[in-house]
Amino acid sequence: MVQLLLVHLVAAAVAPVLVRFLGRNAFLVLALAPASALAWLLSVAADVRAGNGPVQRVSWVPGLGLDLDFRLTTLSWVLALLVTGVGALVLFYCRWYFTATDPTLWRFTAVFTAFAGAMLGLVLTDNFLVLYVFWELTTVFSYLLIGHNPASSTNRRAAMQALIVTTLGGLAMLVGIIALGVRHSYRISEVVAHPPALDAVTIGAVVLLLVGALSKSALVPFHFWLPGAMAAPTPVSAYLHAAAMVKAGVYLVALLAPAFAGAPGWHALTVGLGLFTMLVGGWRALRQYDIKLLLAYGTVSQLGFMVALAGLGTREGGLAALALVVSHAFFKSTLFLTVGVIDRSTGTRDLRELSGVGRRLLPLSVPAVLAALSMAGIPPLAGFVAKEAALQAGLEAASDGVPFAAAWGWLMTVTLVVGSILTVAYSTRFVWGAFARKPGMPLTPVRVPHPGFLLAPLLLGVGSLLVGLLAPLEHPWLLPYAQQLVRGAPPALLALWHGFTPALGLSALAIAIGVGLFVWRDRVGRVQRAVPPLVDGERAYARFMRGLDVGAVEVTARTQRGSLPFYLATIVFVFVALPGMAALLRGSVGPVRLWDTPAQAVVGAVIVVACVLVLLTDRRLASVMLVGVTGYGVSTLFILHGAPDLAITQMLVETVSLVVFVLALRRLPTRFERHERSLRRRLRVLLGIAFGASVAAVILVASAARHVVPVSIDFPEQAHSFGHGSNIVNVTLVDIRAWDTLGEVSVLVAAATGIASLIFVKTRNTRLSTASEQAIAPTEPTRGTWLRGGRTLRRERRSVMFEVVTRLIFHIMIAVSLYVLFSGHNLPGGGFAGGLVAGLALVVRYLAGGRYELDEAAPFDAGLAVGIGLLIVVLAALAPLAFGGTILQSAVFDFTLPPWGEVHLVTSAIFDMGVYLIVFGMMLDIVRSLGTGIDRQISAERRAEAEV
Amino acid sequence: MTAVAPAAFQQANIDYLAVLPLLIVFGAALVGVLVEAFVPRERRHTIQLTISVASLVLAFVAILFATKHQGLTFGYTDGATSRRLFALAIDGPALFMQGALVLMGVLGILIMAERFGGVGSDAFTASGASTPGSPIEAASARAGLITSEVFPLTLFAIGGMMLFPTVNDLIGMFIALEVLSLPLYILSGLARRRRLLSQEASLKYFLLGAFSSAFFLFGTALLYGYAGSVYFGDLSKAVSDTSLGLNGLLVAGAFLVFVGLLFKVGAVPFHAWTPDVYQGAPTPVTGFMAACTKAAAFGAILRLAYVGLDTASWQWQNAVIIVAVLTMIVGAVLSVTQTDMKRLLAYSSIAHAGFVLVGVLAFDQRGVSSVLFYVVAYGFSIIAAFGLVTLVRQDGGEATHLSQWAGLGKSHPVIAGTMAFLMLAFAGIPLTSGFVAKFAVFAAAIGTGGATGTVLVVIGAVCSAITVFVYARVIVLMFFSEPADDTVEVLVPSVGTTFAIAIGTLITFALGVVPSSLLDLADRASQFVR
Repeated sequence: MVQLLLVHLVAAAVAPVLVRFLGRNAFLVLALAPASALAWLLSVAADVRAGNGPVQRVSWVPGLGLDLDFRLTTLSWVLALLVTGVGALVLFYCRWYFTATDPTLWRFTAVFTAFAGAMLGLVLTDNFLVLYVFWELTTVFSYLLIGHNPASSTNRRAAMQALIVTTLGGLAMLVGIIALGVRHSYRISEVVAHPPALDAVTIGAVVLLLVGALSKSALVPFHFWLPGAMAAPTPVSAYLHAAAMVKAGVYLVALLAPAFAGAPGWHALTVGLGLFTMLVGGWRALRQYDIKLLLAYGTVSQLGFMVALAGLGTREGGLAALALVVSHAFFKSTLFLTVGVIDRSTGTRDLRELSGVGRRLLPLSVPAVLAALSMAGIPPLAGFVAKEAALQAGLEAASDGVPFAAAWGWLMTVTLVVGSILTVAYSTRFVWGAFARKPGMPLTPVRVPHPGFLLAPLLLGVGSLLVGLLAPLEHPWLLPYAQQLVRGAPPALLALWHGFTPALGLSALAIAIGVGLFVWRDRVGRVQRAVPPLVDGERAYARFMRGLDVGAVEVTARTQRGSLPFYLATIVFVFVALPGMAALLRGSVGPVRLWDTPAQAVVGAVIVVACVLVLLTDRRLASVMLVGVTGYGVSTLFILHGAPDLAITQMLVETVSLVVFVLALRRLPTRFERHERSLRRRLRVLLGIAFGASVAAVILVASAARHVVPVSIDFPEQAHSFGHGSNIVNVTLVDIRAWDTLGEVSVLVAAATGIASLIFVKTRNTRLSTASEQAIAPTEPTRGTWLRGGRTLRRERRSVMFEVVTRLIFHIMIAVSLYVLFSGHNLPGGGFAGGLVAGLALVVRYLAGGRYELDEAAPFDAGLAVGIGLLIVVLAALAPLAFGGTILQSAVFDFTLPPWGEVHLVTSAIFDMGVYLIVFGMMLDIVRSLGTGIDRQISAERRAEAEV
Repeated sequence: MTAVAPAAFQQANIDYLAVLPLLIVFGAALVGVLVEAFVPRERRHTIQLTISVASLVLAFVAILFATKHQGLTFGYTDGATSRRLFALAIDGPALFMQGALVLMGVLGILIMAERFGGVGSDAFTASGASTPGSPIEAASARAGLITSEVFPLTLFAIGGMMLFPTVNDLIGMFIALEVLSLPLYILSGLARRRRLLSQEASLKYFLLGAFSSAFFLFGTALLYGYAGSVYFGDLSKAVSDTSLGLNGLLVAGAFLVFVGLLFKVGAVPFHAWTPDVYQGAPTPVTGFMAACTKAAAFGAILRLAYVGLDTASWQWQNAVIIVAVLTMIVGAVLSVTQTDMKRLLAYSSIAHAGFVLVGVLAFDQRGVSSVLFYVVAYGFSIIAAFGLVTLVRQDGGEATHLSQWAGLGKSHPVIAGTMAFLMLAFAGIPLTSGFVAKFAVFAAAIGTGGATGTVLVVIGAVCSAITVFVYARVIVLMFFSEPADDTVEVLVPSVGTTFAIAIGTLITFALGVVPSSLLDLADRASQFVR
């Protein structure tokens, strides 16, 4: 059976080539693919009837249970016969349907053949997953076939609609399949032979599978896609929407019926929706003027009929369903192909424009009338036999002892009669509309078609008659399926004559009323117009799609405006909602001591006030200052807590950040743009408060949760005995945690370089320009100048006081920085603090004397200081190795240096010197880039403006 | 509370063959930096490309050897407490992810290297630091400057990504997170065209990424406070040993750590950066990010969820379930309205992240293997898709607006056909890798995820149907619409790009038709070492 599929695959692959060489005749060659499959199927007929049809198992993806299992049961054999037989005939018919000049013929032939293969695979496979694979493939291929003529937007929309609806159904089915397969088996025959217990999951799975089946077979509420898909070329409609694809749903229901027919919800979904669809489809068919649409609604109606029968789950019902599937394939494909011929020969499908076609095209109209009679259920055609069996099944179920099943049986019988009435009416309407000679209308001009064009409908139409006449012969071939079902009596023989049974009476009644409906069609039409449409799936679908579109646009507009604050607010909100709430609800807070000294409370209050003021001010500079206040407040807290070293470092860092801010803020507007009263701002403030509260909660919980001895408890002792110093913070930095420091200073170097290179786009600022090299205007008095660089500034920017003070304190600051560096080991300070002080000294020079003054103060590249610093740090780290120590080991030298006095030199001080240089160099880099660099950009812009 | 005496120094055990792949990639990245410094400009592009591709191929070979050296490494077993303190776990999931990342990285780099006959990579600006539209920018373009540093940056990112699913402790995970993120922040800002958009994307990515990293670190600190250790093994053990009184730390910490990781995969509500960054970043970088970042981050999520916080899963899984549902729905629904190809693919990647999360939530070995398979299948497809986006141009710039793709099927059937095929894969249509991936994830979730898993899968199926609508619309547009204007052209790619797109597409097809070998591999690779 894999071979049959391969034949189709190869045929599809070579189809474009064939079209290239043979033109339209390629269809005749391609028809051989389904025809060969048909021949093979006929050759194994006896085996299938005997119940030992061929089985083939090819391993594909064993890990997922996805295996190419194939088997032939009666059900799949019958459907395979229809798929291949009708497929071959339709391909044959296509030869004359398409014009030779159709440019997309290569695509059509390939897709059509591939579709035939996928459809064959669908009915042959014994694996649910493979069934799903073929199911989706038929969806995709049918999408391409429906959209074959892409010029019209109707086609595109129809194709899309069919795709969405059936894919949704397919995905629902996939979920059902997985739910069945994971717990039981993916093999269909196993599930059918040993149905799993009907627990909640299984029932859910079955319902999902049915949703897939219903969507594919266009049952209410999915029925609307099928008429829409009539935009497809007629051979596609004849094949997909009569014989093949829409039958997939019926097939699935029939397949599952032996195992699950009793499951809760099963009958409501299959029988209930099926019968309802039958009525809705028939009712709508009566209103159509396009004969193709008429057939489409007729198909919807018949599909409902078939699903209802197959879902009934009795033996009689199963047999009737199968007989109906066969007869429907014959008559509906005949009729669609007929419509194609009429369309091609007359150029219209509107029954108000067609007149007298039947007489002109007798070889077409005779089989078409036969098919229509079959559809209406008139003896002696196949449709009549099937409908008799169906009525029989309904009556039998109605007399069932179980009240619930009996109710379905009664409902079925009554609905079948009503449905048959409608069917008779629209069948008559079709024949009359397509072929009759209407009084008062001119005869439609007809181009006589090629005989080959008429062959397929002729064969299928005559088939309808033969199947009806020879029904008893058909019976034993279909019976094995019915015997699989467990409920109901063994079915009666399929035949034209069973004697005067109630079913026959109902048939006669239906035919009579149906003809009456047609005769009084004008009056019926008026009634129809007065009745509002009961279910409008299409409108619901359109509404959902529009809702989706609008919803997506709205949500995008609201949440995805590209606003960083909004994105951030979302994340912050999640922080508040999840970890924040978790800490509040699950965490336990230890005893809280509010303060050690009231001074801490005062400082805390200052910090809080500063925070509030930040929100209120609209000046950038002021808000930076206020943020600075919080930082200084924290360092005050450090002092109050007895950590002067931390406090000094924090203060210095705060100062440096302020300077950096101020330097950068020069290029920004002085005020924020704020909409004070806006709701958004208030929400943000609220969120900010919540965020702060969450963090506070987390911190409280975290600090109460300490249950292990802190590692720092050993630090005081170790700082003294191993690090030879009494400033624990500094010893931690340069000794205990010196590895960390090494890493951090490297990062610092990289960061400083990064900042500088962003400001000086091309290269680092290597070109120095000291004030002494500048040509100084002769008018400037050179005497009495405290800072040389000051002379390069414009007069209004100079401040004598500032220059004098700078001149006085610069060297003092450098000295202090060195003192801080060297005293750091035992007293507050250290290389980091020292470097910051030295850097601040540079900042002062820059602020007082401008960029030339800065280059006077530090006439070297910042990279030099940073690089030497890093070198010292690394060497100091490695040096102990040379003396037999380990990396970063400290040694102490105590000696007397005559003018100085007692010297207590710890080698880690050398490491600290490197840190000092790095921090100093980084400060220089900051001032050079944010100060000098921006100065240059400003003056360059001024010059450019002046030139303009 | 008494201080514990410091234990005697123990030397770390390092199995160099097991970590060789990482060493190769990081080593090559460092060599790349030196090349930037010392090799003349005109030869850099070729040399960098060679180094990158060669090192990644070499790393792949090393990964094959490393499979014989699985186990914990880069640490020691504490003599006193017999705790296993190892920084790296070389196990199935780690090596699988590393292999996938290296191969996807090769394709990504090949597309990045596309020059279209110019001096340097076509996608990258000549001078990243110059202000867009400034004289300096024009001057550097005139001078023929090239941004060949993207190659070492990418290598660093790949190295970080390889490390991400391999690390065995929270600090290591944080380092890997940063090592992979920082180069990506830079790469996002280097687009040659529409540079303001690119720089904005980079800034947003950086700021939001910095926040999420901070959350991760905060969470790490809380978890350390909870367990007294950052090693996943200790963490998992601590959950079963520690009293409930500390749950405030555990839950808050777990949430925060997950925020950091979910941000990287673009899960809702941490997804907001995805469309903006995907759109703004140079397209080859977008493809690389979509494939590799997602894979690496899911590797890390798996390790955290299955090794570190597995015993505490009842504490955090409800939150992640909500995230998964939101991710699928938001990703699917919002992709409906997109009119830009890159944004559309961005939202689709969000939806896919949701599907993968469904697999993570299966809490079973099959969940692991399905996630491994999914990220690989998706990764190769998305690299190829973004590769195709780089080819479609109008007036020199990329034509990313959907209307510019109208009628492409008529003028360039191969490009449009390939794209359509990839779209079908994203939609999860059978015979593409997308179907097998989705199926594997769904099957795992239904099989072992219980009722929650089933509900998640149903939501996933509905969202899949919505995304089918989106992709079908693109296909309709390409094949069934008339071109809006005919100035849209398709550039002829170089051998490298062609190779990358072809391989991505072929793998998408191969994994749909014969997925067994990779599924088996993922299955065998789904066992974590502890």
